[in-house]
Order: sequence, then structure tokens, then C-alpha cells
Amino acid sequence: MKLQEYQSKSLLRKAGIPLPPSTLATNAVQVKRIAAEIGYPVVLKAQTLEPGRGRAGGVRIVQDEHQVENIANQIFKLILNQHPIQFILVEKAFTFSKEFYLAIISDLNQSTPLLRLSEAGGATFLEPESFRNARTIDRKIDINAGLKDFQIREVMTGLGIEPSLWKQLQLIAHKAYEVYRKFDATLVEINSMVVTLQNQLFALDTRISIDSQSLYRQESFSDAFDPSYFGWEERQALKYDVDYHGFAGEIGCMVNGMGLAYLTIEELIALNVMPAAMIDIHGGATSTSIASSLEMLLISPRVKAIIINIFGGMTRCDEVADGLLQALSEGLPKKPIFIRLEGTNGDTGLDLLHKNENLSFFGTTEALVNAAVGWLRGEEQ
Amino acid sequence: MSILIGTESRIMVQGITGRRGRFHASQMFNSGSQIVGGTSPGKGGEWCYDGRLPVFDTVKDCVEATSANVSVIFVPPHSTADAILESIDCGVKIIISITGSIPLQDMMVVNSALQSSNSILVGPNSPGVLVPGIANAGIFPNEIAIPGNVGVVSRSGTLCYEVIDTLKQSGLGVSTAVGIGDDPIIGIDFLSCLELFEADPHTDQIVLVGGPGGDSEIRAATMIMESVTKPVIAYVVGENLATSILRPFFSRSGSLSLDSLGKKTSALKDVGVLMANKLSEIPLLIKR
Repeated sequence: MKLQEYQSKSLLRKAGIPLPPSTLATNAVQVKRIAAEIGYPVVLKAQTLEPGRGRAGGVRIVQDEHQVENIANQIFKLILNQHPIQFILVEKAFTFSKEFYLAIISDLNQSTPLLRLSEAGGATFLEPESFRNARTIDRKIDINAGLKDFQIREVMTGLGIEPSLWKQLQLIAHKAYEVYRKFDATLVEINSMVVTLQNQLFALDTRISIDSQSLYRQESFSDAFDPSYFGWEERQALKYDVDYHGFAGEIGCMVNGMGLAYLTIEELIALNVMPAAMIDIHGGATSTSIASSLEMLLISPRVKAIIINIFGGMTRCDEVADGLLQALSEGLPKKPIFIRLEGTNGDTGLDLLHKNENLSFFGTTEALVNAAVGWLRGEEQ
Repeated sequence: MSILIGTESRIMVQGITGRRGRFHASQMFNSGSQIVGGTSPGKGGEWCYDGRLPVFDTVKDCVEATSANVSVIFVPPHSTADAILESIDCGVKIIISITGSIPLQDMMVVNSALQSSNSILVGPNSPGVLVPGIANAGIFPNEIAIPGNVGVVSRSGTLCYEVIDTLKQSGLGVSTAVGIGDDPIIGIDFLSCLELFEADPHTDQIVLVGGPGGDSEIRAATMIMESVTKPVIAYVVGENLATSILRPFFSRSGSLSLDSLGKKTSALKDVGVLMANKLSEIPLLIKR
């Protein structure tokens, strides 16, 4: 889960990392008042998790109070990927001589955290080329021993950082690692870190991602989780612990596992058909979450036909059948359902379902998808 | 014979009294696997599966009493790292975590402990290890495969079922099927499994089942070129444009750039791996 810029800055500031003064505003009048308090020049930064903020004009430097309300209003009017801007972070603007990049990254292959220091300030972790072209040093951190002073020194000398900056940089690296561990982050990125004309280090831009599997023990982020990003289906999915993804097509799919999700979608795409939705009920789903998944597909006006593709290992086919029958008995709109039910307790599951007239049964993913697409084509003619 | 597990495997279940652990312990028992007991803290001394399987409070007690050397874990994600560490501490040789979605930093601690031990972790988020006719250490549906000489290693559990089922429909048998799991950090990977299959006298050919995210298929290709002599057939989902609409699924597998599409296929093809474009092509690529 990515945190908004203002949220990550607040975590890092509390940890003791030097950041330019900044305050959050929800309207142009507030922006003007905050800017006066902080002192010009200021940077107005649209708060959004969508990419392309800079290109869209969401980050603007303002030199004095004449333009500030006008520019703030322009930013509040921006819509990035259908998400309106609700907050602007008003921040003191600095003149700086040099910038670089510091991050604590999760190295999934080596299964350790890494300290990364690079001259590629301004580039992001997601752009490997920028790091290849700049001098970049990664240092593996033993998660049991923690980040050590000598490791930071190694990285700083490797990059030829001036000794006058070592003490400040060492402190920042330690604090960043503290935040990484304490909040179950997957990434703590300071980009860029700047050196001001007074030889002071400041974290200008920061980015933190929290491991969504750890949210159960990171209660402070329950309010960072923004449900306004979700539609009704996503909220239902969250409630019943399934994954829901909406697409533009007309066939709704329910599967048990990511592999089957890919396989089913690839078979659809091979026939030039887009799914309307993909629900992954995961391994070992209960009949309640299966029932609500089918309800979502039955209710959705976009879904004309339904594919259910289950190959149960931990998922028990009798439990799937129970859930499906529960949803089918609720008087929801009737839709043709193409189903393949195989694996653990498969025969019991099929016995339970065989009487139902809405369902047609298939033995393989390929046959299942072919039949559903054939039906859809017949309808279109 | 097989890799990772075999006739000498004595299987225990961590979380044997939970809804999933209890059910799959009985499935394993019914499939003829040598399952010897399990743990459930606070329920030591009880018996489950109609008095056939003893329950212990700790892995230590269970191993001492039953000589278990394989543990299959069904406990909830929040306690899984602890359960794996407990098995490592007791010297359990093969630890299979069916549970997935373990906090990332917990997995880093687990992998660090694994490095200084003789234990091997399969998973998390694994369907287990299946040696048809000998043992089902995990959640593979019973009777899904017949014994044979094809080794299967897969990231996805459900695709692993699909592949061995497809093989069975064509009369082809499996030496061992391993689901290595698709979480961001896993224990045993493609490389170690390829090495084990290469050394296993009962495996003649290997099927590798890959997916989107990460670069494990590309690293597997390098290793195949350097040290695998047996024929390898690969099936990788998410390599065409379908992947682009599935981006949301990658939220946990790290970032994905669209220009990496097809790179896994070409890396594997370049080292002589036979690529199956569809599931149904896999049996056709296997030498009879």
C-alpha cells in the first residue's frame, strides 16, 4: 500500500529526518494562509497516488502571494486518472547545490533489505536505466543485525560523498531504516535528498510503501487506507476476502487462484473477448465468500454471462457448490453460468449442482471458455 | 524415485486441528501418505482423525514422539513465520508452507534462519509436494496424477493442478510435482528444483510452469543452459498482452513494465526450452 506524500513525510519527520516545513491544505484560501506562514517561495504539490503528477501541472513553484490562490485553484481542478485532487501540500522551496537518492529497498531475490545510495537524484526505483547510468551503490542489510554504521560508511565513501556530510547522512540512513522496520515498509525512498547552500541535508521528496500483508499489526494506517478509491464491488471483495478486478468486457469470471485467473483470461483473449470482471476467491474460500462473489456477478449490469473455473486443492468443491446454491436461491437476475468444477471433493460438488438449470458443465478451461464465448457471440447476432 | 519427499518421509501437520489442517490431514492420510501427527498449541494430548493422529503442543514434542521429518503448515498468516522458525529450530528437513501472504519482513527473518540450517522451505503459498503413489505432502487433490517420469515445478498452485491433470489425461505420469509458491519471497526456487530434478534418476523430462512478475524464469533459463541436460518444457502465463489488463494482480509481485512482455519466453526459447503456448500443447511436447 503506497502512502500519500504527506503521510510518508509525517512518518519521516517524526522519526527525526530533516524535511522542509510543509502543511496540508484543502482549499486555495488555506494554501495562501499557510504559504504566508511558511514564507515564499513555496512549492504547491498535489497529493495523489496516480502517476504523472508533475507532467499534469500538479507541482508548481510560487514566488509570491499574487499568484498563489490562482495556481492553487488550477491544481484543485486537476483530475488524474479519474481521481480529483483533494489536498495540496504547501512546502518551503529551497535552493540547493546537489541532489542524490537514498532508499531502503526490499530485495526479493536475496530476501533482505538493501541500502541504496545513488547520484541519480530525481530518478525513481521503478526506472532501472537511470540507476544503471548513474553511480549507484547497494548494500545488503542483515535483517537480524540491522543497519550498521560501517555499511553506511562503505556506501558513502564508495560514492565519494564529502566527509562534511557524513554525520547527517548517517543519521538519515539509520532513521529511514528505523521507519522501514517499525512500519513494515516495503520501500522507504528519499528522492531527492538535497544539499542546501548552507551544507544542510533535506529530504525533498519521499515515498513509502507499506506491506499490505502486515496491516493487521500496523493499525496506525487504517485511516491511510482510502476507500474512496474503491467501487462497490471492491468494497464487497474486501469484506469477503476475495480479489475483485473490473474490466471492460461482458463475461464475469470467478476462479480460485492467480494462475487460473491468468489461464482463463488468456483463453478469453485468444478468442478476442475481454472479461467484465475477475474474482479470485483464493484457496480455501468459505461458502459465504463464494456466495457473495457470485452475487456481485449476478447483480452487475455489465455481466451477461458467467464463467466459474475452479480447480480445488485447498478449495473444497462441495463448499463452492454450497456457496453458489446460496446465491442462486436469492432471486437475483438469472444469467447463463458456465462452470468447471474439479479437484478436492469435485464429485460431491457436482452432485449438489447438477439439478440447477442455469448451469452448464465443462471438463477443461478451454472447453469452458469456448462455450461461454460461443454463447455471447450467439447473443450478439 | 522423487525429489524432496519420498518413501522415507514422515509427515506432520502444523495447525492440525484447524478447519483446513484437519481436513487436509485426513486427505493426506486417505491418499496413503505416511502422516504421523501434528501440532496445535493448547491441544497437546488430544487425537484427531478418529483417534488415528496424535496432536502435540509443540513441534519438538511431535518430532520426538513421531520422528517426523516433513512438516506441512496450515496456521494463519500471522503465525506462519513463527511456525516455520519452530520447525527449522527442531531440525525438520522439509518444511512446506501452504499458508501464503506472510508479512514480507517476517519472510526475510525466516530466510535468514534457513541459511544457517539444513532445512528446506517449500512455499509460502505452496500447494505442497506430490509424489504420485507415495505421498501427497500438501493440498493436491487426490488421484490428480499417475506415477511417471515427468518432473513438474510451478509457481502457481492451480496451474500446477492443471498441468498434471493435462498430463494424466494423455496417459503421462509424474515423478514429483512441486508448487514453489508465488509470494514475493519464497524458499526453494526454480533453480534448486531444476538441480534436484537433474540429479533424480527417475525424472527424464521437466515441465516448468511460470508466471508474471519477478525474473525467476530468466534466471532458470541461464541455469538450464549451464547445467541441465534433461529436456525442459515450459509454460509461462502472462507473457502476452493479456498481462496488461491484469496489472492489478501484480500489486504484490512487484512492479511490471509492459516492455518486459515476452522476455521470459524468449530467454527460455534461446536456451532450447520447448515452449507450450497453451496448456494442451504440453503433452505434445513431451517425448514418449
